[in-house]
Amino acid sequence: MNRQQGEQPVLISLPPAMATSSQFTRQLGCIRPLMKPQLFIQPQISRRSITSAFTPKPEPVPFPTTIPEQFLSQIPDRFRPHAPKKLKIYPPPPSAHAKCKDPIATVTESQLAVLDPTGERRALFDYRRSARSVKVGDILRVTFKNGDPFSGVCLSIKLRGIDTSFLLRNELTRVGVEMSVKAFSPNVESVEIVKRTEKRKRRARLYYMRKPKHDMRSVENIVSNYLRQKSALTGQRSANRKKR
Amino acid sequence: MIQLKTMLNCIDNSGAAVVECVNVLKKKRPATVGDRIVVVVQKQRNFGADSTGNSGIANKVRRGDIRHAVVVRARKEMQRPDGSLVKFDDNACVLVNKSGDPIGTRMNGVVATELRGRQWSKILSLAPMHV
Repeated sequence: MNRQQGEQPVLISLPPAMATSSQFTRQLGCIRPLMKPQLFIQPQISRRSITSAFTPKPEPVPFPTTIPEQFLSQIPDRFRPHAPKKLKIYPPPPSAHAKCKDPIATVTESQLAVLDPTGERRALFDYRRSARSVKVGDILRVTFKNGDPFSGVCLSIKLRGIDTSFLLRNELTRVGVEMSVKAFSPNVESVEIVKRTEKRKRRARLYYMRKPKHDMRSVENIVSNYLRQKSALTGQRSANRKKR
Repeated sequence: MIQLKTMLNCIDNSGAAVVECVNVLKKKRPATVGDRIVVVVQKQRNFGADSTGNSGIANKVRRGDIRHAVVVRARKEMQRPDGSLVKFDDNACVLVNKSGDPIGTRMNGVVATELRGRQWSKILSLAPMHV
């Protein structure tokens, strides 16, 4: 740096002389521009500062080739005399997608195989595929493992694989009761169709039946009629049980 | 979802017909089946006998009384452990005294089975039907 600062005065003195001379050589025939350079020279001198000095880019120092072994670790890898270290490339983890394309469907299938081995319950509720399945508007009777029956009009069937459920509505002691039952629940012992709907319902969800205008009210007498007929046909003990 | 100002049907023969919830006890959320609440009797049943003072079916509570009650039916659906849902078309309760015994001697109307899990078996045995 010291050496460069010493050179400065020389550098500063040169440009103005050159600028004026070039003006003269270029435009000899024109007088008007001659007036202006005088105005320019003065500010140029005052504008000059130490930062405007030109410093040539220093020559790149060749990297020392003979570096003692113990310093090699401190310099970047690409400057080391030997070849750069190989990056360790890890293989990608094994793809889960390749192993099982659709895990949800697989789990559903395996669960259905456990909970519904005969496929009977599946056929009973899959109203899109099987014609003899439960339809909305049918009157169903569900018996649970603990012996409690529940019957009602089927308002909706939600087909959700293993979580398939249906909504029953009934009126007990003049109070509307709704129960949503999981079709494949191990608590559900049996599902019977007591009475099919007379006309095919044109809605998938019969929530309008909650309104007093469309409410079916109690289905108890229909269910008890059905049970009486059933016991008469089969001649079994199910008649003496109290039904609801 | 029974909370402040909810009107409930009272389904026992204590004499109250419609009560209003003023507090939910032991929880910071809306009450559901099996929860104890504090109610104000808003409407009482007129058995006809209560004006004459005949003690046979006289109302045990009067309009404006503040009592404890147990919710036995709720409009909001409840989930059972097996994933099934149960909901009723109205909110109903049964009046109880401070020690938890029902004030009425009879009940009319279906109640939820969840009462058994909440140690309200006495109410459940009074009910004509449970779901």
